[in-house]
Amino acid sequence: MLDSLSTSLKDALKKLAGKSVVDRAAVDELVKDLQRALLSADVNVKLVMELSKAIRTRSLDEPPPKAMSVREHVLRIVYQELVRLIWASTDVKLEPQVILMAGLQGSGKTTTTAKVARYFQKKGLKAGVICADTFRPGAYDQLSTLCQKINVPCFGNLQEKDALAITRQGLASLKDLEVLIVDTQGRHALEANLIREIIELNQLTKATHRWLVIDAALGQQASEQARRFHEAIDIDGVIITKMDGTAKGGGALSAVAETKSGIVFIGQGETSEDLERFDPDGFISRLLGMGDLRALVERAEEAVRAEDVDINAMMKGKFTLRDMYKQLEALNKMGPLKQIMNMLPLGNMELPEGVYDVTSTKMVRYRIIMDSMTNAELDDPSLINSSRMQRIAHGAGATPDEVRELLKYYKLMQRTIKGLRGAGGKFNMQRLMKRFSGMQ
Amino acid sequence: MFGGLRDRLQAARTRLSGSIQAAAARPQEQPDAPAASRPAAPEPQVVPQLRRTATFASKVKTFVIDRELIISENEIADALSELEIMLLESDVALPVTDAIIARIKKDLVGKHRRIGQSVDSLVVQTLRSALLEVLGKGFDLTSYIRDHGHPVKILFTGVNGTGKTTTVAKIGDFLKKQGFSVLIGAGDTYRAGAIEQIEVHAARIGIKIIQHQQGADPSAVLFDSVQYAVSHKIDVILADTAGRFHTKANLMSQLEKIRRVMKPDLVVYVDEAVAGNDAVVRAAEFDRTVGADAVVLTKADMDSRGGAAISIAHTIGKPLMFLGTGQGYDDIVPFSPEAVVEELLGDA
Repeated sequence: MLDSLSTSLKDALKKLAGKSVVDRAAVDELVKDLQRALLSADVNVKLVMELSKAIRTRSLDEPPPKAMSVREHVLRIVYQELVRLIWASTDVKLEPQVILMAGLQGSGKTTTTAKVARYFQKKGLKAGVICADTFRPGAYDQLSTLCQKINVPCFGNLQEKDALAITRQGLASLKDLEVLIVDTQGRHALEANLIREIIELNQLTKATHRWLVIDAALGQQASEQARRFHEAIDIDGVIITKMDGTAKGGGALSAVAETKSGIVFIGQGETSEDLERFDPDGFISRLLGMGDLRALVERAEEAVRAEDVDINAMMKGKFTLRDMYKQLEALNKMGPLKQIMNMLPLGNMELPEGVYDVTSTKMVRYRIIMDSMTNAELDDPSLINSSRMQRIAHGAGATPDEVRELLKYYKLMQRTIKGLRGAGGKFNMQRLMKRFSGMQ
Repeated sequence: MFGGLRDRLQAARTRLSGSIQAAAARPQEQPDAPAASRPAAPEPQVVPQLRRTATFASKVKTFVIDRELIISENEIADALSELEIMLLESDVALPVTDAIIARIKKDLVGKHRRIGQSVDSLVVQTLRSALLEVLGKGFDLTSYIRDHGHPVKILFTGVNGTGKTTTVAKIGDFLKKQGFSVLIGAGDTYRAGAIEQIEVHAARIGIKIIQHQQGADPSAVLFDSVQYAVSHKIDVILADTAGRFHTKANLMSQLEKIRRVMKPDLVVYVDEAVAGNDAVVRAAEFDRTVGADAVVLTKADMDSRGGAAISIAHTIGKPLMFLGTGQGYDDIVPFSPEAVVEELLGDA
C-alpha cells in the first residue's frame, strides 16, 4: 500500500541523515520534501502547511534533549508531528452496540459493512446487519450475498422504500444480536434531503458509533465532506477503504483531522477478511519504515491459532521446505505476504520484488508439489536432483519446470529471511539512523 | 463542478495582474536619459523571449522606445506560488500542477507587453491557453457512433466504486434518447449484487441486457452480447465490467482478455471527479495496460473543484467525454473543454 509515500518520506529523511551539518538549510530542504510527499498523498493543503510550519519552528527553536543528536531530534519531531496529524486510534469495544455507516457514493460502505460484521464475529460477538440502502439497485442482493458467505444475519426489505421504516423493522427483528451494523445509501454533503435522512437514522438507531467510510483515493474534498458529515451526525471514527490500490489515503487522514476522531479500520482487499485495525503509532512507523510489530502479532494470533506455526522459526534461520509449507498454509490465512512484510521493521531495506509475486493460486500449486516430496526432501531440499525432480513433477501432475520454480522461490525466501534476522526491535532510533546513514 | 476552481483561478488572475501592474509602475518613474544616450542599441525585441533577466538598461530602453514592458520571473514568483497552492487545493495532482506552473511561467517571463495592452487580457490568454492545452478536445459520442460501423462496441473500465454501472445506465439512456438502439452487457460478474443492479437499471430505461450467472467469465458474457447485437442489428453495445485495481495483475490481464475477445471500438475509462493524486497513477496504468480512448468523470456534483479532470486529461492525453452529475439517469453532461475554460476564465 503506502509504498510511494513511504519511499518519498524515507528519501527525505535519508537526505537529512546524509548531511554533515543539520542547519537551517537542511531543515528547510527536509520540510520542502515532506510537503511534496504529503501533498502528492492528497493530505489537505492547509494541514500540510501547518505541519511543515510546526516541524520547521520546532526543529530550529527547541534545543535537542541531552544525548540526542540534532539529527535524531529532527527525526523525532517529524515522527511526533505526523502522529499528531492523524490523531488517536479509536477504541473498538467488544460489547453490544449499534454502528451506523455513512459515506459518499462508491466509497465501499456495503463491502465494509460485511467486513466489520466479520470482524466482530471473529471476536466472538453475535453480529447482524441491516440494509438501509433503498436507492441503489442490487444493494440488498450485494449485502445479503456477502453476509451469507460469512454466515451473518442480514435484514432487508425490497418492498419498503423508506430507509427509516426498514431500520425500525430491522432493529426489532435482530434485537437478540449483540452488534448491529446499519449500512446506508451513499450520499454527499450537498444532498440536503439525504443528510436529513441520515440525521433521522442516527436518532432512530441511537447509534453507539457513527463511522465515516472514506475512499483512500479521495482528494482535497475529504476535509469538507467530513466536516459536513461531522456536523450532521457527529462522526466518531473513520474507515479508510481501498488501501490495496496505489492511493495513499491522505484525504482520509485529513478527514480524521477534521472530525477530530480516529481511524478505526483500514480496508485493503475485496474479501470479507481484508480489514485491519488501525494504530496511528504503528501506521507512522510503517510509513517511515520502522515496522509495526504490534499489528503483526495481532494478526498472527488471529490467524495461526490452530496451526501453531512459530513466527519466530522463520526469523531463526533454519528454514526448510517444510517450514515454507506451513507458512504457505498460515500465510493464506494471514493475508498477502506484502502486507506482512510491511509490518516488519526493515528500515528502508528493499526486498526483492519477486518475493511478493506468488499469487494464491501459485501457492496452492506449490503445496501440491510439496505434497509429492518425501520427508527427507522436505527437510533437505538440496537432495533434489533431476531424477527426483522428474518423480515429484510426475506425482504432482506438474512439469519439472514448475518444481524448479518452486525451489527457486524457496531459495529467494530463504535469502530474504536471512536478511531479516537481527532487524528486530521496535522504533530504535539509533539503529534506524545508522541504517539510514549506512545506505548512503 | 468547476465553481470552486473558477473562483480560485480568478483570484490567481487578479494576483498575477497585480504583480505585473506593480512591476510596470516602477520603470515609469525612471528618467529617459539612459535610453536616450544610446539610441542605436541593437533591437531588444529579438531575443528577450529566451533571456531570463533583462538588464536595467534594456528594460528602460524597451519601455521608452517600444513602449513595452518586460515581465521578469521575480515579479510573478509570489503570484505563481499562490496559483500553485490554489491548483493543489483544487485536487490538481502535484506533477500536473508543476507542469501548468512551468508553462505559465515560460509564457509570461520575458514577454513584452505594450503599455496600452491590458495586463488582464495577457494573463487570461496565458491561463486559457495553458488550460486548453491540458484539457485537449472533447469527445462527441453521438457523431462517433454515426460515423462508425454498427454495432459500436464500448467497453467501460475503472477502479472499484467509481460508478461504472451507473454511468453505463446513464449513457444507455442518453443514447436511447438520441434514437440509437442500445444493448448492455453485464460484464461485472464478480461483485455481489452487480448483475441485479444493472438489470434493474436496464429494465427502468427499457434496454435489452445480456447476462450470465455471478462468477461467470466476463469475456463470455460480452462475447455473447456482441453476437446478439450483430444478429439483431443493434447500434451500440455498452459493456460494463467489474471494478479492479490497476495493481492486481491477474484482474488486469482478465481485462486484456475481455478486450481481445470483444474487440471494443472504444475503451472508456471511468473515474470520480473527487479523486486526488491517485487519479493520475491509475489513469496512466489503465491507459498502459488496456488503453483508454475517452474518459468519463463521475460524481462531479460533490462540490468538487474539477482538478481530477485536469490531472487525468494531462496525464493520458485522452478527451473527456461526459461528466456524471447526480443520481438520476439524465444527470450526465457531454464535456466541452472550451465551454469549461470559458466558464472558468470568462467574465470577471
